Amino acid sequence: MPAHDMTSFAEPPTKIVCWSCGRENPASAQFCDGCGKLQPSVPVDYFQFFGLPRRFRLDRAALEKSFYALSRKLHPDLYARAGAQEQQWSLEKSSLLNDAWRTLRDPLARTEYLLELEGVRLEEQSRNATDEAAASGTAKQQIVPPDLLEEVFELNMQLEEMRTAHASGQNDPAMAAGLQAARRHFESQLEEAMEQLQALWAEWDNAADAHNIVEQKAVQQKIVDLLNRRSYIRNLVRDVQQALAS
Amino acid sequence: MAYSEKVIDHYKNPRNVGQMDKASTEVGTGLVGAPECGDVMRLQIKVNPATRVIEDAKFKTFGCGSAIASSSLATEWVKGKTVDEALEIKNTDIVKELSLPPVKIHCSVLAEDAIRAAIGDWKKKNVAVEHSMATAGAAN
Ligand code: FES
Repeated sequence: MPAHDMTSFAEPPTKIVCWSCGRENPASAQFCDGCGKLQPSVPVDYFQFFGLPRRFRLDRAALEKSFYALSRKLHPDLYARAGAQEQQWSLEKSSLLNDAWRTLRDPLARTEYLLELEGVRLEEQSRNATDEAAASGTAKQQIVPPDLLEEVFELNMQLEEMRTAHASGQNDPAMAAGLQAARRHFESQLEEAMEQLQALWAEWDNAADAHNIVEQKAVQQKIVDLLNRRSYIRNLVRDVQQALAS
Repeated sequence: MAYSEKVIDHYKNPRNVGQMDKASTEVGTGLVGAPECGDVMRLQIKVNPATRVIEDAKFKTFGCGSAIASSSLATEWVKGKTVDEALEIKNTDIVKELSLPPVKIHCSVLAEDAIRAAIGDWKKKNVAVEHSMATAGAAN
C-alpha cells in the first residue's frame, strides 16, 4: 500500500462501512465498533492511523500505550486462521503501525513528516532555488541566511585547526580545552534550537486549532528555517565529538 | 555506498584547496550550503578584468567526499574559462564526470551553486566594468 504516496491523502474517506456487519465506522478505525472485526486498510496518514489530530505536539506516553495495544491486537499471528483478506490487512496494518510509531515518536522525524503532509518538500527547496538561479542567470538565493553560512564556515575552519593539532599528537591542553568548550557551545545551541522548535510547534498547533491558515503557513516557514539552521549545528556537534574521540 | 574512482582521486588529492583575498576586486567568492545535510562550500575565482578569463580558482569544503570531489573538479573546470563560459557548467556535467549516485546529486548542486555565487560576487564588485562593456556592446 502506498503509505508514502502523499497524494492519496488529498481526500481521505471519512467513513467506511464494515465489511462484516455493515455498520459505519470512522475511516481511521482499525476495528468495527459493532462487531469488532478488523477493518480494511485504507490510505491514511500516520496521525489518522493513531486517531490523532495532525499536530506537532503529542502525548508521547499515550502514543506508546496505543502503539503497544495496537501491535498486540493487529498481530498477524492472531489472524492465522482468519480469511485471506483479514490476514492481508493485519499484515499491512502492522507494518503501517510500525512506520507510524517510528516516525511519530521521534520529534524531528515527526516534524518533517507533518511538514511533508502540509506540502513542504525539504529535500526539494534547495534544488528548486538552483533551477531558478540557473534560469535567471543569477546567484542562487541561499536557503539559509548568509551570515549563518559565514559563521558555520568560520567555526569549521577553527574546528579543523584544532583537530589537526589534536591528531598530530600535540597533547596541547589548551587545544583540548578549546574543543571541549566548542562542544559545549554547539550542544547548547542544539538544545536551544530544540526549545525554539517546541515553541513553534505550539504556535502552529494553536493556529491549526483556530483554522488560521495564513498563520500556519507563516509558522511553517519559520520551522523550515529552524530545521535548516539546525542541520548545520548538528554537523558541528558531530565533528567536534569526533575530534574529541580521536 | 562505494565512491567512484574519480571521486576518490579528487577526495584524496583535492586540487586547488585554499583561499584568496576576499577583498580584492579581481576575486569573486561564493559561500554556499546544502541544508539537506548541513555541508558548506566556499569557492573563489580570480578573474582577469580585461579578458574576463578565470585565471585561478580555490575551494574549501566541509562536507562529504562527493562535495569535496565536486568542488575540486569545479575549480579545475572553471580555470581558463571566461566567466560566461563558466556559468554554463551544470551540476549534471559534474554528476556524469564523477559518476555520482542519485543520493549524491545535491553535492554536485552545491558546486554549481558555488560557481554561480562566486561569479555573482565578482560581477557585483565589477559593475563599473560590466557597465562599460555593455555600452561598448550597444555601440556596435
Ligand atoms: S552529503 Fe551534503 S554535500 Fe554531500
